[in-house]
Amino acid sequence: MFVHIRNLAFKYPNSKDNTINDFNLTIDQGEIISILGESGSGKSTILRLIAGLEMPTNGNIMVGDHCMCSNSTFTQPEKRGVGMVFQDYALFPHMTVEDNIKFGLQKWSRKDKKNRVGEVLELVNLEDYRKRYPFELSGGQQQRIALARALAPKPKLLLFDEPFSNLDADLQIRIREELRRIIKSTGVTSIFVTHDQDDSQALADRIVVLREGEVAQVGTAQEILGTDCNFADRMPVKPRVLSRV
Amino acid sequence: MKWFRSLKTTMNLWTVFSVIFVLLVLLPNLSIIVQFFAEPNENWLHIREYMLQNYIQNTLILVFFVGILTLFIGTSLAWIISAYDFPMRRFFQWGMILPLAIPPYIGAYTYHGILNYTGVIQTSLRNQFDVTVNQQYFNIMNMPGAIFILTIFLFPYVYTITKAFLARQSTALVENARILGSSSWRIYFRVVLPISRAAIIAGVSLVILEVLNDYGVVSYYGIQTFTTAIFQTWFGMGDLQSAVKLSGTLMVIVLGILVVERIARGRRQFSFTTTKVKLLQPVKLEGRKKWYAFSFCMFIFSIGFIIPVIQLIYWATMTYEQLFSHDFWQLIWNSVSVAFTASTIIVIMAVVISNFARLNRGMLAKTFPKITILGYSIPGAVIAVGVVTLFTALDRQLFGFYEWLGLEPTLLISTSLFMLVFAYVIRYLAVGYNSIESGFDRIGTNFTEASRMLGMSVTKSFFKVDMKLIRGAIFGGFILAFIDIMKELPLTLILRPFNFDTLATKAYQYAVDEMIQQAAIPSIFIILVSGIAIYVFHHVLEKE
Repeated sequence: MFVHIRNLAFKYPNSKDNTINDFNLTIDQGEIISILGESGSGKSTILRLIAGLEMPTNGNIMVGDHCMCSNSTFTQPEKRGVGMVFQDYALFPHMTVEDNIKFGLQKWSRKDKKNRVGEVLELVNLEDYRKRYPFELSGGQQQRIALARALAPKPKLLLFDEPFSNLDADLQIRIREELRRIIKSTGVTSIFVTHDQDDSQALADRIVVLREGEVAQVGTAQEILGTDCNFADRMPVKPRVLSRV
Repeated sequence: MKWFRSLKTTMNLWTVFSVIFVLLVLLPNLSIIVQFFAEPNENWLHIREYMLQNYIQNTLILVFFVGILTLFIGTSLAWIISAYDFPMRRFFQWGMILPLAIPPYIGAYTYHGILNYTGVIQTSLRNQFDVTVNQQYFNIMNMPGAIFILTIFLFPYVYTITKAFLARQSTALVENARILGSSSWRIYFRVVLPISRAAIIAGVSLVILEVLNDYGVVSYYGIQTFTTAIFQTWFGMGDLQSAVKLSGTLMVIVLGILVVERIARGRRQFSFTTTKVKLLQPVKLEGRKKWYAFSFCMFIFSIGFIIPVIQLIYWATMTYEQLFSHDFWQLIWNSVSVAFTASTIIVIMAVVISNFARLNRGMLAKTFPKITILGYSIPGAVIAVGVVTLFTALDRQLFGFYEWLGLEPTLLISTSLFMLVFAYVIRYLAVGYNSIESGFDRIGTNFTEASRMLGMSVTKSFFKVDMKLIRGAIFGGFILAFIDIMKELPLTLILRPFNFDTLATKAYQYAVDEMIQQAAIPSIFIILVSGIAIYVFHHVLEKE
């Protein structure tokens, strides 16, 4: 197992109940996992716990051979070697695309940095956008640059927080195909959270359904979502159309 | 174990410095609280028996009338300028903030100079029309005069906060009321005043805190309030202990006002929870109405800015040779260098505390911002008392050390500029803090988190990302603090080292010594710097 999460629990200071309760998950190397749940189910919190942006009240997270956190240790986010693509991409507005990507390569030599920027830009098909600023890019391009920036330092694990929520429907379909291709070509283990079953089905090797901070189901898209469109009767979460209304 | 893990994770330089800075802010206030309960001396018994009631009464009369008058002037101007279009409206939008550029003590002696026997009005009446007026109608150096001065130079606090609220938050309600056929008076009293309650209370509270802080106006006009009493007890009677007790009592009043503000504002916030900001579209006034609106605004603007400035310029023409003296440039250097030093320290402290507060959860992160802005609520004279007691105690502790170093003076820190700068920092930390905090609020925490996920520590993230994104807010905080310090009077009067004058203290000193024309040049310099800053903030930045 590459990622091993055991008995994870978390509570926000002002809330009475746990946001995450006894969450357990193992992930193989190179696997793409989707955490699917409605808003408020705690899916983004799980991502933040894995990233180290929140500290769990209980539980362990292991990535590779490294213990990211336990009841006695806590590795800071910058030391985890985990990459993340944020919901609103969080591209630094005062830096060009190239500088954004180089940002995570601070210890690399100048030559290696330049080569790596070229590689990841080629991967996301945006080689010509090196000198642009984020505000000069479309939503889809920003997302691909955010992915390139997260991939550049060669993270052990890549996290995506609602990666398609800022894109319109047509672009969403095109980009998720491309995203799967890119992730698979790099072989990086990935977790993305979404409230959209279509995203999960198109991208993930396995889906974890989360409800009120607890794992409700784990399985392949086939096992959980089936192949026909009649999700409503069988699904623990509402289908996309309903959940968006 | 988990507690230790938590401590280890949150313990970094930002936390350590935040704790140190907040303790520095707290110490002078604590020293007042501790000494407030010390055994009273005879002076205090005398003050309490015969004078305290008078101080409280005068202070409350000032607070009450200035509060009510600024409320009506500030909100009515905010409403007219937000809701209607009339000649010069665009200018008045920011021009109405300009009276804030004139510190009330400068306004106080300027108006006295205009209205007294040798002033321009009475001289003109005598020389041109051969009319000699009854002096009592032209005497401004009394309680109504002080109320007038403080009202006319402090109403912009209510105006700006209420106008910002009305322009952005009231659109739907006001437009609905218009569609339902309400008259403009009815909308003002039935819709505007109730919905802007929180904003108005915030503005009036600022005015009240400024009134409590004022020393220049009341002492020049000879009105006994808490601040004048603190000065007199301390310097007249040489009784710091009773000054501490007066300061403590004033602190209780300030805390009372803050509690009343909290209760009056209730759970209402300054803004509704909507991100869709629709600006209120002003209705074009026609015929007489547009001239009524214009006249009202012009009248307030004239007495709040034009008249005193013209008078000061006139006086300045009589004394402009001052400009070429070494002493005057020394004054500018003194004012600018202390304001620059204190503002730089303020910005550094504000950045550290606000960055700590936004990146952490828990008690400390919640409490620190509240303590940081404490100083702005506490009148300058009180802070001065707290700082002096603290530094004198410190000097006593260090006496042996000074001797060991072979230094002659027994009071080294408490007679130095360091003490004045320290007091400025405590008093105006809130000004820098609010600006920087709002800058951090605008960018959120996503960029910092993204930077950390890319391998940067909190500190590196700050320098490479956050600082660059909030540099406007940092600069804004610096300028606001700088201007407030340039204008500051009571703290500077009490804490300045021997023979150290700033533009503000010199202007005040000239006025007290009846050399009113001499006060004009330093006063104009202060107004000019403040006016330019107001222009830049509310005109250029608003456009951007």
